[in-house]
Amino acid sequence: MSKPDIAPRRSFLAENPSVMWFLGLLGLFTLGVTVLAEGFGLALLSTSMVKILGMTLCLCLIAVAMDVVWGYCGILSLGHFAFFGLGGYAIGMWLMYARTQGIVVESLANAPIPPTQEEINDAIATQIFGVVGSNELPLIWAFADSLFMQLLFVVLVPGLLALIFGWLAFRSRVTGVYLSILTQAMTLALSLYLFQNDSGLRGNNGLSGLQNIPGLLHLPQSTIALWFFWASAAALGLGYLFFAWLVSGKFGSVIRGIRDNEARVRFLGYHVESYKLVIFTLTAVISGLAGALYYPQAGIINPAEIAPIASIYLAVWVAIGGRGRLYGAVIGAAVVSLASSWFTGGGAPDIDLGFYTINWTDWWLVLLGLGFVAVTLFFPRGIGGLFDMLVRKP
Amino acid sequence: MRLTALLARAAALLILLACAFAMRPGAAVAQTALQPLLQEHRAELAKPSRTTIGPVISALLASDHPGMTGFLRKWEAREVYLRPEDGLFFYAEEAGDMLRLIDIDSGAAVAEVGSREVDQIRPNAGVRREVAAALVPYELNAPDPARRAEALDAIARSAEASQIAPLAASIEGETDPALKTRKERLLTLLVAQFGETKSERLDAIAGLGGDTSIEARSVLNQLTATRDGVATALPDDANIARVLEVGTDLTEAEAHDRLVAAGLAPPRQTAADLRDVLAQHIVDGHVGGVPLHQLDTTAARARAYEALEQAGTVPPRAAPDEVAQAVAAHVFYAEYLQPDPQITQAAEDALAATTRALGLYQTADLVLDGLSLASIFFLAAIGLAITFGVMGVINMAHGEFIMMGAYTGYVVQLFIPDYTVSLLIALPMAFAVTFGAGVAMERLVIRHLYKRPLETLLATFGISIALQQLAKNIFGTQARPLTAPDWLGGAITLNDIVGISTIRVAIFVLALIFLALLLYILRRTRLGLEVRAVTQNPGMAASMGIDPDRINMLTFGLGSGIAGIAGVAIGLYAQVTSEMGANYIVQSFMTVVVGGVGNVWGTLAGASLIGFLQKGIEWFNPSNTLAAQTWMVLFVILFIQFRPKGIVALKGRAAGD
Repeated sequence: MSKPDIAPRRSFLAENPSVMWFLGLLGLFTLGVTVLAEGFGLALLSTSMVKILGMTLCLCLIAVAMDVVWGYCGILSLGHFAFFGLGGYAIGMWLMYARTQGIVVESLANAPIPPTQEEINDAIATQIFGVVGSNELPLIWAFADSLFMQLLFVVLVPGLLALIFGWLAFRSRVTGVYLSILTQAMTLALSLYLFQNDSGLRGNNGLSGLQNIPGLLHLPQSTIALWFFWASAAALGLGYLFFAWLVSGKFGSVIRGIRDNEARVRFLGYHVESYKLVIFTLTAVISGLAGALYYPQAGIINPAEIAPIASIYLAVWVAIGGRGRLYGAVIGAAVVSLASSWFTGGGAPDIDLGFYTINWTDWWLVLLGLGFVAVTLFFPRGIGGLFDMLVRKP
Repeated sequence: MRLTALLARAAALLILLACAFAMRPGAAVAQTALQPLLQEHRAELAKPSRTTIGPVISALLASDHPGMTGFLRKWEAREVYLRPEDGLFFYAEEAGDMLRLIDIDSGAAVAEVGSREVDQIRPNAGVRREVAAALVPYELNAPDPARRAEALDAIARSAEASQIAPLAASIEGETDPALKTRKERLLTLLVAQFGETKSERLDAIAGLGGDTSIEARSVLNQLTATRDGVATALPDDANIARVLEVGTDLTEAEAHDRLVAAGLAPPRQTAADLRDVLAQHIVDGHVGGVPLHQLDTTAARARAYEALEQAGTVPPRAAPDEVAQAVAAHVFYAEYLQPDPQITQAAEDALAATTRALGLYQTADLVLDGLSLASIFFLAAIGLAITFGVMGVINMAHGEFIMMGAYTGYVVQLFIPDYTVSLLIALPMAFAVTFGAGVAMERLVIRHLYKRPLETLLATFGISIALQQLAKNIFGTQARPLTAPDWLGGAITLNDIVGISTIRVAIFVLALIFLALLLYILRRTRLGLEVRAVTQNPGMAASMGIDPDRINMLTFGLGSGIAGIAGVAIGLYAQVTSEMGANYIVQSFMTVVVGGVGNVWGTLAGASLIGFLQKGIEWFNPSNTLAAQTWMVLFVILFIQFRPKGIVALKGRAAGD
């Protein structure tokens, strides 16, 4: 390694104290949850709460990816939840297949005659697809018995879809609102496709029982929840570090240039489409990974998860948290999704106005919707913008 | 009157001939009373049974007594009573708790009796069918057209050869032209099935070609019905429809199943059967000498079965090669039930003509469907074409304006029960409500975001979910009815295939009105001129004395108001729920984008393309509308790749870049 290579790397963290701050806080948070959790520590946090926190971390990760593609590169994608869902489906296929296989083999073990391989396969297929009236494994399940292949698909399927879609879209210079609508159409098409019973992914039943990890069935859910929480925290930390590094160098300057004035960057000689495509595909892959960590904690995935509205919410989180700053996306996703589950889960106390009682399960969405409007109008920099007041840049 | 009476007589005479019963001189008995005639068959009439009643009815009808059909009809309707003491039949009507007996011949009230003192005669369903069938020829000439139509229905339901003669006889005297054509068609159908001579039948069958009615098709299908046959060689005497090739027309397994069903081959053994049989013959952990733990492959199981078979403990089974041999040794064919090849050929020809006509009508129906879907998309998107297309504002709350319009219609109907009046009030009300909402939204929110179009998307999305939840809080989650007035409730049907509900025609007309209105406003009015000026160059427009704020406000209000009216129209045929707007928003955006932004004609083109495309794809796979939508969205994505500016692309400065 020569000196000029090391010098910018040393200055990366030094120049971005927010990254250090973020990683430190994330570490502390993880430690705190671990100590308080049911699995190991003081059992002050229930297992379901640990799961919610772990899922929130995954949502933060996809929000960071969304921030890179929108806040830094200016592509308002309304389809990133499609990649999230695809990642979830890819890992869900293995989870469901392997677990069903275990159950089938166990139930056939008591048969007077040992089962043939075809019988086992038929039983698995019937078990999984009986609910949509089929008893054959579709072709896309060909590798469902291999964890390695499905993990590969977690990366490959969203990546390839984003690559093809992005190539088509950027090549014909679809930009701005049109691109947003196009990505929305993509996620709509995908969810409509998955809603069909013959899509090979169980139609609107989706994949379920994903919280039972094959091979780890002897462990209590409290332990598994904590493991997934750690994995989610690690993924968020690494993802954050990666994106922070990505947007800090020259590459980051180019994509910010594209956001601010695409034509000018093109005239400077940069191949704008390639930059956009790289960003679009990279963020899609990270979204897929986030989904693959999210759904084993959620336990179920169905096509409604990738309906267009989910991706719009994603954009809203980033906007509320503050675009163009990675920690803003994390704050937005965490605050809005945790507040949503607090308000709609009956955690918030009703407000008695005398003539009318405000029941938050009914009124939360109204508050949230008006909140978006207020943030867009009055705090275009989002919650993250508040930090600017604390840290005065020279 | 005189003529119909004569005809009735003629028809009755025909029946007499057909039934080959001794004919009595009609004029002579017509004068005698009915009661004595009935008394001749008292036992059968009092306790009717399906097996014996036929000749009795024939005999009674053969008397040609003018009151006879009337009596039989009442008898069938369980309105005839028998007085046990003298065995006479009476009609009866209720008089308080008592029954007032009425003399069958004179029609005069005879006595009032308790219901226990007389026996009501209750013919069962089988008997009633017999009576109804026997009465059909009389009904065909009944003075009341409704009864004649009913008789035709009865014939169509259960066609018989004996009905040909009375039907043919009744055609000439038919005065109602509609009934006359029906009779003629029905006669063709009957002759095609039961005609006496072959040439007569062939003519009738040829006449059915191209007739797309369900009755005609079912007759032709009956004539060309086949049964599956299997033999070692093709039989000479059978009317063969076609020979089935194993491998192309049916699989080997299906072929073998047919052999098994015909008793020509031993049944195949499924894997599950094999396993069960083997499980029954486990001896000391072995089956046929093969250890149990090895039986986890098909080959090992086959070996075990062979061993058992050789030992004689299990019956032989059809091995795969034996199945193939058995199938190869036989010929599989479909054979017409109708033995005459000329008739089946004529029926096949007629059916082919019918299928062609059917295809034509189905295409017409598809076009109508596509047109109506396109007009719905157009209505949903037209408001967006103004706010998004002309002003460039991404209004995610557009769908909620549609919903607001629909709920306005619902509330108006709560107060005004007359559906026609309430609809006439609801349309302008919906416009007013959503116009106000649109103007308020433009003033409060969108005005501040003209320079940041992507953020308009977020802000309006916030408004959208807030409005949706508000509607849910106010009106609840269940669907609310928005009832169309009766004159919109029916359907316009051309024939059995081509038809469209009136409400969809109304929506189509409404879409056309909107198109014309909008084109007029944008091109011919001062407001339209100013709107176009402001959208092309706000600065220049302002310096010419146009107030851009006011114009933006009015334009946005107009687009929202139209969404409200569209909401009423959509609510009339779909359900009014708080989520109904969300169902249209993505499609509406796609409509506008595909059509080309900033152009009303473009929206029309986009809506037509998407509507027809979706119906077209649905036609390939009618059971799966989801698939159609998926393919449609994929098509739209690809379409935008190749024509990013939409179908009707603006050129030059108006394009804005």
